[in-house]
Amino acid sequence: MMVRTIACCVTVGAALLLTPLAQAHHSNSAFYVTKIITIKGVVKEFRWSNPHVWVILTVDDGKGNKVEWKAEGRPPGILARAGWTPKSLQPGETVTIDLSPAKDDSASGLIARVTKEDGTILANAPPPTE
Amino acid sequence: MKLEKTVLGMIAGVAALYAQSTPPDFSGVYYPIAPFGRFQGGPAAGAAGQSQSPRQAPPARPTASAPLSDGSRGRTPDEPSLTPEYMAKWEEISKTRIAGSSEYDLTAKCLPPGMPAMMSMAYGMEVMQNKDKITFFSELNDALRRVYLDGRKPSQKVLDDPTYAGYSTGRWEGDTLVVDTVALRDNTFIEGFTPHSDAITVHERIRRKEPGLLEDRITVSDPKALTKPWETVKTYRKASREKGNDELREFACAEGLSEAK
Repeated sequence: MMVRTIACCVTVGAALLLTPLAQAHHSNSAFYVTKIITIKGVVKEFRWSNPHVWVILTVDDGKGNKVEWKAEGRPPGILARAGWTPKSLQPGETVTIDLSPAKDDSASGLIARVTKEDGTILANAPPPTE
Repeated sequence: MKLEKTVLGMIAGVAALYAQSTPPDFSGVYYPIAPFGRFQGGPAAGAAGQSQSPRQAPPARPTASAPLSDGSRGRTPDEPSLTPEYMAKWEEISKTRIAGSSEYDLTAKCLPPGMPAMMSMAYGMEVMQNKDKITFFSELNDALRRVYLDGRKPSQKVLDDPTYAGYSTGRWEGDTLVVDTVALRDNTFIEGFTPHSDAITVHERIRRKEPGLLEDRITVSDPKALTKPWETVKTYRKASREKGNDELREFACAEGLSEAK
């Protein structure tokens, strides 16, 4: 499934390079929010921006191809309360991201959580208030 | 003796009057309990608590990013009961959402979430209160609603000019704030993506349920869209400086729109 997804996204990913974060703000309906896939890659850019943060990630598809993924996170306000800061991720570090894939099959998704190499988990929500 | 009784009676009377004239102060920052409704998709996605026990077994992988429905699961019995005309509208909205479109999503366009759906306050709420007005601020899309407490009523001019937050007036019944909202645009949602007509009115009873918990009992009436009034209860937990969560952050939604250009 992953291989198929990545294979299909190589060309789409290239097209996305020309349109900077084309869907900068949209609802969760753009994602399969009940599905989770896991990608691992090197952070190219961490954008702490309103109303959603972005992690741009270079992912090796296992066939010698580098695919650029755009992982969208929740708003800075809610992530700050979950422990994130604008410096949580640095370009060049390797991270594993659990995300809900986009419905349009592009190499993008909605972040469920980010796991850093040292095992630190950046969650997508503060601890429950209950 | 008689004088003592009279004085005591006067004190009691003044105390009673004072109690009546000083309603509770709801001011503060709050977060909703169960902000995304009932979640049936397994453990919350990467709940932050998991990272605080690194020596325990690895945390379960998330099974969902957000427990929000795009309509593909249909409607549950506790959701507003729609007339056939508005059920057809809901189905149309669901179709676009299942297809991944944000066509009907106000907040995706940086528009205010609108009443009464905005009272879900998923990202947090700040209440600002004085004698004449209570203001509810939603971190999601930096949206405001004002509730006038000084006895004014919606004028015809107001009724002819519907808005996303509508026009709200309130009064105190003991410790409960009773609020009525009219003049709502017909493109806001009752909750989720449940549509309504221009005949919608919202009635709320807001009280401090217990220390640190604010409760909003909401009744939505809409003779064109609903087969019967719909009731829901929202509960919010007060933030505190000690917990370090009493500051909301600016949302600045349009920043994302400008990046999309």
